[in-house]
Amino acid sequence: MQPAIVVAGLRKRYGDRTVLADIDLEVRSGEVVGLLGPNGAGKSTALAVLATLLAPDEGTVAVAGHALPAAAPAARRALGYVPPDSALYPALTARENLRFFSGMLGLDRGAARVAVARALDLVALAAYADDPVATYSDGMRRRLNLACGLLHAPRVLLLDEPTAGVDPRSHAYLHAAIAAAVADGAAVLIGTHDTEAAERLCARTVLLDAGRIVASGPTAALAGACGIAASLSLRTLRPPPPDWLDGLASVRVLTASGTRTALALDDPAALPVVLARAARAGGDVVELRFDRPTLDDVFFALTGHALRDDDGAGSLS
Amino acid sequence: MRRALAAAIGKDLRMLGRSRVELAFLALAPIVVITITGFSLASLYGVGALGKNAYIMPVADEDEGRVGRAFREALARSGEVVIEAVPTGAEAAALIEHRRVGVALVIPRGASRALATGKPAAVELLTDPAKQREVARARALVHEISRDIERRARGHAERRLSRTWTRLERMHTDLTRAAESLARELDALPERLAAEQAAAALRTRAIEVAATRELRTALARAVERQTQVAAARLAVELEPLQRFLSDLDTAERAFGHWWSSIHRVVGRVPPPPALPGIPFAVRDLVHADSYVLAARLVGRPPSAVPGVRVPTLTPPTVPALPALRMPPLSAFPAIVLPGTIAVAERSTAGARGQANSFGRNVLGIGITFLLLGMLLGASLGLVDEQDWGTLARLRTMPAPLDVTLLAKLLTRCAVGGVQMISFLIVGRIFFGISLGAEPWALALPTAGIVFAGATLGLVGAGLAHSRAAALLLGVIVTVVMAAVGGCWWPLDLEPHWMQRLALAFPTTWAMAAYDDLMIRRQPLGAALVPTGVLLAHGLAYLCVGIALFRRRFAPR
Repeated sequence: MQPAIVVAGLRKRYGDRTVLADIDLEVRSGEVVGLLGPNGAGKSTALAVLATLLAPDEGTVAVAGHALPAAAPAARRALGYVPPDSALYPALTARENLRFFSGMLGLDRGAARVAVARALDLVALAAYADDPVATYSDGMRRRLNLACGLLHAPRVLLLDEPTAGVDPRSHAYLHAAIAAAVADGAAVLIGTHDTEAAERLCARTVLLDAGRIVASGPTAALAGACGIAASLSLRTLRPPPPDWLDGLASVRVLTASGTRTALALDDPAALPVVLARAARAGGDVVELRFDRPTLDDVFFALTGHALRDDDGAGSLS
Repeated sequence: MRRALAAAIGKDLRMLGRSRVELAFLALAPIVVITITGFSLASLYGVGALGKNAYIMPVADEDEGRVGRAFREALARSGEVVIEAVPTGAEAAALIEHRRVGVALVIPRGASRALATGKPAAVELLTDPAKQREVARARALVHEISRDIERRARGHAERRLSRTWTRLERMHTDLTRAAESLARELDALPERLAAEQAAAALRTRAIEVAATRELRTALARAVERQTQVAAARLAVELEPLQRFLSDLDTAERAFGHWWSSIHRVVGRVPPPPALPGIPFAVRDLVHADSYVLAARLVGRPPSAVPGVRVPTLTPPTVPALPALRMPPLSAFPAIVLPGTIAVAERSTAGARGQANSFGRNVLGIGITFLLLGMLLGASLGLVDEQDWGTLARLRTMPAPLDVTLLAKLLTRCAVGGVQMISFLIVGRIFFGISLGAEPWALALPTAGIVFAGATLGLVGAGLAHSRAAALLLGVIVTVVMAAVGGCWWPLDLEPHWMQRLALAFPTTWAMAAYDDLMIRRQPLGAALVPTGVLLAHGLAYLCVGIALFRRRFAPR
């Protein structure tokens, strides 16, 4: 089956500045792909090209089988675009917003009613459907913003920073709604610099830096594919013997000092075995810190600079 | 505290300095308003910013007399109007009806004569009720001139009266003197008459003597002349008789000689019969001197010719003359010519009375806010849509952007229409404005200006990329169009070049149509052309607006 999103050799310039270069990308129906990169990497530009807001300078772009920009009107019927801002009318209620966008999407009255109700349910806003959007929290707006993009059950869903600045609860609703769309067969492309969201939502991730793809692949395997090991720091009751890790090829000792040992795990799947051996060899594991390589680590390893300006690498304790 | 205050002020100034649009708004908008207002209201101060601001005023001088001439000269001298001479009042009225001018002056036939003879004269001021400012200026000017003409006429009359008064006073003095002299003469008259009578008697006597003498002389001369004539005639008459007597004597002597001869010859011959002899009286008569004879016949003049008697005419006795009592001549009353010049004002549109000032304000301010709403509403609405991100979302939806624009246009048209109708209703109910002869005809210009305003809003929205730019553009365009287009003050207040410039603005045509319908109370037909122009404006703005939007939002 032809991918819902096909991008080959996409190049986009703003004046003399190249913002996208040689972008190749495919997203199949029912697949969620993350477009991950720091601010200014070109994520929003790439999504805007796919959303028919911008025309590509070079390369081919097709959405739901419609080549852009020539077949933009047909592509628009198949795509749902969720812009980074809460693209809503604050003075209207959620239901009124959804009804309006249903009309703009060409849904008739009956279909619109059903679509609105479904969308409100998807993002868990039915209880607030008749409140003005101006009274909504940021998280609620994000959810409603997503709901607007799901109204016509699009074959292609383009999300630009859908989770930026939302609380965990809203995160969960957003993830659920996206999962539902995927379950309906939508091809989802998420532009984000939220690595956690990407890791949780995206089967595949495309790392973008300075307008170029620096890596792409299944999210879970991306770190391994890039040769980045997870790190494990542990303290045992007594110092383990030197050979306590013999036979585990994917585990390397980084530092060992008495009861404290720092390890590198090329394969995070080896963690249970390591922990079992540590308990046996050291009496018991009394302190543990496991740092799995994140997409931030991958990005840093590939580009030499952080994905986000505000931190170094993601961590999971 | 001071540090914080300084920091806050510094921050505000830096932000202001980096906001070019805001700076432009602070600087440009007031300059635009000042410029527009200065040019527009210059005539309030007498002189336009680009020179004299004179109206064209047709003057129909049907009088062709002193009043007409005085009006024409005074109007020309005033510099406030440029006179356009027209032959008749009807032609002047036609110029107003064709909107070429707002006011015309007609000086009817006989005005000068009426003024000169002390009767009230009237000039007619033909007016367009919609051009109140022009009418007001012209009214004031014509009234001033008519008062001036009256004043000058009065002055002229007073000078003439003064001269007459002086002459009359002199005559009064002379009359008084003459009367006194006459009285004296009358008093002396009986004595003079008596003397004259005596003198006349003496002269009569002398005349009688002289006449008698002359009569006698004439009589003697006449007798002498008759005697001579008679003598001449006697001489002529007696001359044949004298010759006959002479011949007879000769013949007697010849007969005597013959008879002697015969007697000697014959001897005795009986004597011839004796012939009667010529009487001595005849012989004396024949031989008498003719003068003496004539004098004897004519006779001598009478020695005692009676004297000529001139009949004595006894004049009637001079009656007792009444005493000549001159009535006292009182001072002459001051006389001022009552002639006045009335200014009769007549609206060519037949509108009743003065236009309600709210009529223009309701519409003018209404259109201003309509434009403001359209421009700011459309521009800020679009900026909001951009800020909210809804525009980006809409652009990714199947409905083309033109649908969004059309929806905005129709919404704005509906809102604008309701807005204008509300203004009219409120104006009618609360301010008593006139809705004209055919109130439903107001729908035409209302639809026109609403359409033009809404499409102009699209243009503004297509041009303004930020909230500040939208405000700047909206305010400046609204102020310029409203001010220049006659929404805030009558268009005739503006200089001519500005009035021509105003034709490029829809506000001008809207106000013109409303003026026609509401103030001039014209029928529907009067609004057709302005409405057509408004719709043309709207179509042009629509094309420009759509082009701007497509250019701005086309995928690039």
